[in-house]
Amino acid sequence: MDFALDDDQQLIVDTVRRFAERELRSWAADADRAGAPPERLAAVASELGFGLDAVPADAGGLLEGSYSHLTRALRGFELGRGCAALAALLECNVEPALAAGKWGGQALQQALFASMAKGELATFVHDSRGALDVAGDRITGKLGPAPALATASYVLVGTRGLLAFVRCDDCKREAIVPSGWRAARWATATLEGARLDPELVLARGDAADAALADVLAWARVSLAARAAGVAQAAMDHAEAYGKERVQFGQPIGKFEALIRLRDDAQTLTRAAHLVAMHAAWQIDRGLPGAYDSASRARVLAGDCVARATIDAVQIFGGYGFVNDYPVEKLMRDARAFEALHGDERLGRVLAQKAGS
Amino acid sequence: MDLFHDNALLQGVRQMMGAFAKSQIRAIAAKHDREESMPWDLMKMAGQFGLTQTSVLDGRKKLTGVDEDPDPKKPKSQARIGVVASEEMAWGCAGISLALGGSGLACTPVAQMGSEDQKQEFRKLLTGADDKGHVKVAAMALSEPATGSDISGLKTTAVRDGNHWVIRGSKQWITNGQSAAVYVVWAQTEPAAGRAGVRGFIVARGTPGLVPGKKETKLGIRASETAQVHFEDVRVHDDMMLRVKESAAAGLGDTKKMLDSTRPMVGAQATGIARAAFELLLDRVRGGSLHGTPMASHQHIMFELAEMQMEIASARLLAHRAAWMADHHMDNVAEASMAKAHGARTAQQVTTRAMVLLGEEALEPGHPVEKWYRDAKIYDIFEGTGQIQRRIIAKQLTGHNPT
Repeated sequence: MDFALDDDQQLIVDTVRRFAERELRSWAADADRAGAPPERLAAVASELGFGLDAVPADAGGLLEGSYSHLTRALRGFELGRGCAALAALLECNVEPALAAGKWGGQALQQALFASMAKGELATFVHDSRGALDVAGDRITGKLGPAPALATASYVLVGTRGLLAFVRCDDCKREAIVPSGWRAARWATATLEGARLDPELVLARGDAADAALADVLAWARVSLAARAAGVAQAAMDHAEAYGKERVQFGQPIGKFEALIRLRDDAQTLTRAAHLVAMHAAWQIDRGLPGAYDSASRARVLAGDCVARATIDAVQIFGGYGFVNDYPVEKLMRDARAFEALHGDERLGRVLAQKAGS
Repeated sequence: MDLFHDNALLQGVRQMMGAFAKSQIRAIAAKHDREESMPWDLMKMAGQFGLTQTSVLDGRKKLTGVDEDPDPKKPKSQARIGVVASEEMAWGCAGISLALGGSGLACTPVAQMGSEDQKQEFRKLLTGADDKGHVKVAAMALSEPATGSDISGLKTTAVRDGNHWVIRGSKQWITNGQSAAVYVVWAQTEPAAGRAGVRGFIVARGTPGLVPGKKETKLGIRASETAQVHFEDVRVHDDMMLRVKESAAAGLGDTKKMLDSTRPMVGAQATGIARAAFELLLDRVRGGSLHGTPMASHQHIMFELAEMQMEIASARLLAHRAAWMADHHMDNVAEASMAKAHGARTAQQVTTRAMVLLGEEALEPGHPVEKWYRDAKIYDIFEGTGQIQRRIIAKQLTGHNPT
């Protein structure tokens, strides 16, 4: 068993870490207040290869050979350390591009990849609440709230018995700015008997459920890696603040109670990062345990980021509660990691209850 | 859910404040959270039925219709009334309840330490409306940029000059800091004396050199205003200095005592937030189904609710015990801290779990559970952080301050 990164992976980690520390972190607060990403994001993202990394090279993208979810998890952790909202926009094309590449026909691939090559976004929405109704070639119901949905051209919709793309022009979209990931271009969308274009349908019935399980595994590993990154950022900030803030005659970071808060969060973060990478490694090898691992990675990282960000605010005290300091944003950002794509703990409980 | 069924007074307060919270506070909670604005109209209305900005100074007679026995040795009911009312109002909206009660922070030291003349002056400054037509509010200015948990290191100074004191320094996280008509500011009069040299001064808005600073954008309790306040050589007459009883070791000695009666109320507010989230979930569970089976038939969900109810009930009991002890003139230092710390933890745990159980729904802007999640956090920070409460409890055990 080898945990070492290869040269390419190390290069990607170093590059994305620099980008996250220098750019994303410096943009994060303004983007959060504005509820929108900085205009420069798109240009810098395309320079670094985001948005097209899952689009095959022969279709104008950057993907040669098979996609590495492990590399994506490594990158996601670094992006999470930068800004959860901007990370979501940088990662949102991956599921749609991979799904189209794997199950889509030529016409869909051409249209979607051309759209992405122009810098447009796509996003994946899982109907975790069963809010969609599919009848023949008509689809009705509500999508989201989901990040990137406000500006995306295509949305990959996964629901029981159907995995299909929907053109966002066919939806009634309402842009929203939730409390967390505020810059991530969220929206809800309503479909009122929209016609499913046969060219955009990837799978139906059992095949769709199996395909959706794949897509969810990709999405959950990515979420888990980014969540661990946000938890790490929270503890980075808390550590620095603990050194400079003096109360009762000593830096507060020297108090055992605060050391414990950080230390426990660090243990959880390390574990969440590793479990996410392990799940990604399983996906890359097509191992049967990958879905389960991806789901557990997400659950663990969700718990981890919730705790680490709440404790970071605690360590900052009164300054943690105000917007001039970075950690209250992280506490708001933590929520989406646990909420997106549904509660798989519940899913597993029900599955085990129903099983033998 | 009345804790002390046999106490008609507390039951009455709970019913009245619960109805007020439901009909008046809940209706405007989302708006003031979104706009980060004070509920001025509601504050005015609350004043008309007795919940005035000077309630603490006046006693709660107007609110409850009850005269407390003037004999200082007899048991009182004020702390318990405070606990019951606090839980109900925070159930409605923690930010609004703090806006309604924010002046109480400044009234308490005036009530405890002020002379009759000072009380009269203080009341006068809070009478009528300000130039915007708003109810007048007061601010307690104690914390400083470098002085949060450790209040012994105050940097703001008051220097004697004839019949006056000249106050210089900056205050941080001050409730009503921008809007207050009157401030009770704490300053060091004798730097060599440390804590014993700290005194409180009543300072009217408009006094030259008193400069309200930046209003903070906060994670939660956004209906309550928090701002910096700067004192740039503010001259205050000696008559406006709060006198220290000879028995008290320090000016702050009295304010520390006051925390023993406010901490149970703060714990009760946190309990109110937790209860709000719990009740929303319970309501959802009662009508809800999960893949064709009633939600209420699932341990996965119901055991979480059972856990929440246990925590909420224990937080409420701790707050009532601490308040009961205050009403019976007993030393409740550790009990007050337990009530505050456990309430804060319960509010955070319940709102965080509620967010997870509700899933994507709770991400929608303006969702009440998301707001309660943000509101809950301050309860582990202000009025002594969770760490400070544990330090107090621990010190009561062995006499040592662990570091």
